[in-house]
Amino acid sequence: MAQVSIKNLTKSYDGKVKVLDGVDLEIAQGEVVFMLGTSGCGKSTLLRILAGLIAPDSGTISFDGQNILTLPPEKRHAAMVFQNYALWPNLNVFENVAFGLRMEKYPRKEIEKRVMESLDQVQMGAFAKKSVTQLSGGQQQRVALARALAVNPALLLLDEPLSNLDANLRDSMRREIKRICTERKLTALYVTHDRREALSMADRVGVMHKGKISQIGTPDEIYNHPLDGFTARFLGDVNRLPDGGIRPERLKISDSCGKLRARLVERSFFGDSCEWLFETEKQEKLLVRELAPPERKIGNEYFLDYDPAFLIPVPESADEQ
Amino acid sequence: MRSQQILRYLLLAAVLLFLGAFLVFPIITVIGTGCDLQLIRELFRNRIYVEGLWNSFAIAVCTTAIVFIISLGLALIYDRFDFPGKSLCNTALLLPMVLPPFVGALGFQQLLGYHGVINSILVNMGLNPVDFLGGSGKFWSICVIEALHLFPICYLNLVTALGNIDPAMTEAAANLGASPWQRFFRIRLPLMRSGILAGCSITLIWSFTELGTPLMFGFTRTTAVQIFNGLTELESNPIPYALVVIMLVFSALLYLIAKAALKSSPAGSGAKGMVNSGAVMLKSWKKVLPLGAFGAITLISALPHLALICCAFSTRYSGTVFPENFTLENFDLALSNVLVLPSIANSLKYSFLAMMIACITGLLVSLASVRWHLRGSGLADLLAMLPLAVPGVVVAFGFLGMSVKFTWASLLFDPVNNPVWLLSIAYAVRRVPYVVRAVSSGLEQTPEELENAARNFGAGPWRTLWRITMPLITANLIVGGLFAFSFSMLEVSDSLILAQKQEFFPITRALYELAQILGYGIGAASAFGVWAMFFLGLTLCAGALLLGRKIGAVFKF
Repeated sequence: MAQVSIKNLTKSYDGKVKVLDGVDLEIAQGEVVFMLGTSGCGKSTLLRILAGLIAPDSGTISFDGQNILTLPPEKRHAAMVFQNYALWPNLNVFENVAFGLRMEKYPRKEIEKRVMESLDQVQMGAFAKKSVTQLSGGQQQRVALARALAVNPALLLLDEPLSNLDANLRDSMRREIKRICTERKLTALYVTHDRREALSMADRVGVMHKGKISQIGTPDEIYNHPLDGFTARFLGDVNRLPDGGIRPERLKISDSCGKLRARLVERSFFGDSCEWLFETEKQEKLLVRELAPPERKIGNEYFLDYDPAFLIPVPESADEQ
Repeated sequence: MRSQQILRYLLLAAVLLFLGAFLVFPIITVIGTGCDLQLIRELFRNRIYVEGLWNSFAIAVCTTAIVFIISLGLALIYDRFDFPGKSLCNTALLLPMVLPPFVGALGFQQLLGYHGVINSILVNMGLNPVDFLGGSGKFWSICVIEALHLFPICYLNLVTALGNIDPAMTEAAANLGASPWQRFFRIRLPLMRSGILAGCSITLIWSFTELGTPLMFGFTRTTAVQIFNGLTELESNPIPYALVVIMLVFSALLYLIAKAALKSSPAGSGAKGMVNSGAVMLKSWKKVLPLGAFGAITLISALPHLALICCAFSTRYSGTVFPENFTLENFDLALSNVLVLPSIANSLKYSFLAMMIACITGLLVSLASVRWHLRGSGLADLLAMLPLAVPGVVVAFGFLGMSVKFTWASLLFDPVNNPVWLLSIAYAVRRVPYVVRAVSSGLEQTPEELENAARNFGAGPWRTLWRITMPLITANLIVGGLFAFSFSMLEVSDSLILAQKQEFFPITRALYELAQILGYGIGAASAFGVWAMFFLGLTLCAGALLLGRKIGAVFKF
């Protein structure tokens, strides 16, 4: 496992559109860092530059202090889990996972041992002899993960690996990946646009916007203390108040007292939680999220209260939404 | 990384050099000799040559018209209806391609000759026999037999073009009140333009330059046959060079027009995936109607082949509907003829070499343009596809000219004493397009991410090519190779023009010589033709099994 240092990385396509605009990032040994951003923000480009599949325009990348930019992809030991898994249909499950080890010329016994260990770790040991084309999406995802784990990479790169899975499978795979990363103390960079994935799995989360990392910190830091409106909005809903923004779960509904008075206009029930939409006298909409809420009547007026300590920046322009 | 890029450029340079030396240079040699204004003026003053050009043009136009009507009808039926045995019908339609029209002409003469099958039926019905092959009969026979041979290529292009039209396009037109005819003429036909252009331009070029069929029918007033007949007196009469130039200019113009039109076509090249076109199954007895249409065309196009088979298995087949006896004698005769066995060995040798050369060249062109994105790969792709537009007669003539004019070429290619490399390379350059199209379509369908993944897991660029890319495009390479091999085995123009000594004759040249022998010649030639048909049929079936519906992609610009 390596300590990764990225400095002032830039990349533009056709000399015009800047996809990466001076990215700096340090990843400690054994740390799992998430890059969160909208599509086109440059997060996948960052990953592909680290893997050596794209060359940057400028900047440096080092693993444990050693510059790796001059190395071809096959010498970087930065194993990647591709978004569409990129499993080779001409090789079976075992051979897919063994590929990286064969390239490193490991002895046959060692290859067998490590492949089976990796497959067992993702609970795919029984499928070793199967063709990858016979596997479901979730199973393919596990094999892609096992393939990356088998080579014991210096840096594990994950490119939205769960985006093709259904919601239930995504939840279980999320827990699985987190367990493996912790168990094997992996240094990993994971890019996604799913904030739940990032907040629940990361040691640190970076938010990318227009080719730059606009903020990086622990999930708690960036969710509760975003530095700008974009980060605040990207990580969750924000209500606009006269003195700043506030998350829906930080607003408290009361029958008797509060800083704001608003009429209840809509109820959205999610089973485990409920969202109430209120409208103030100035026709401003406010969203309140509660777990296990009591019955409330649509059309009635209520008081809303909040602690100013939880105020966060508000997205100002449409661009930041 | 730099050394690997240098190696790629070196390989591309080698390919360009090969195509330049053995495709462009022969063409330039022909142009150099034939582009003589006085010669061309002389040509256009000579009534016989002008008539030859006119006949070739008329054959091309009539053949293409017949091809278009048959292909469009069948393609629309295939696209619109589901019927029992649909995929079998689609494969059966490839049958006419099993035999070059040159050999099919033998069977056709058996059908329509004065003592042929049709006349026997007429006589049996108490009617007078008709001289189908007299007067303009030969002309129309040539058009029909070439059309029956070429229509599958156009059909495959049209089926792909139709399959690529999103059904929502016609549904939207119907929704806005367009009648079925309006939908066809205003929406589907314009969207099929790329397929129509690709199919029809190939047919036009190929039928304009066809040598074997008119030669077998003894129809000497076509440009290709005049070029062939002029070979023996080339030194005293250089007019064939000018004829070749005219042929080349015509084909090149057609090719460029088709290319330009394809570029501006709204449906693109038709390389997109198939979309479900919403075919319907007709009710009760009506569901056999589409089957009947396919069956009828397949039967008509198979008739010359059936007649050829009958001819091959009989020693007496004249003036009767069916052969009078059944024998394997012709096969014995064919095999015992001094021409046959050596010609098979020769063809196998030339075709194997041609296949290897075409596969290596085609693979490198495809990799350079689809995967390596090298500068200059566009030129290589263009050159590799050029043989589709350049008549075989032109290339063959160019090789001949080269071996006469340049010492280095005469050392490498001695048409009289050692034409092995001459024929192999001539066969190969004209088969490169099949390999390029087959391999390129395989590469386009293989996500580049699979190769990126291999690099990411420690494989170098060449190892990635060997371990990942090559296994994934093996089927395509095999298909391209099979086509290169089997079309080389049955190649006509190069074989007739370039093989001069009997000991170097390939199969087609031997077949032509056999057919000229009076007496047992036709029977033995037919037996030989049956073998050839079986061989090419086997190849096409293997190709269809490996590639499925995508086999049409092999016959595209």
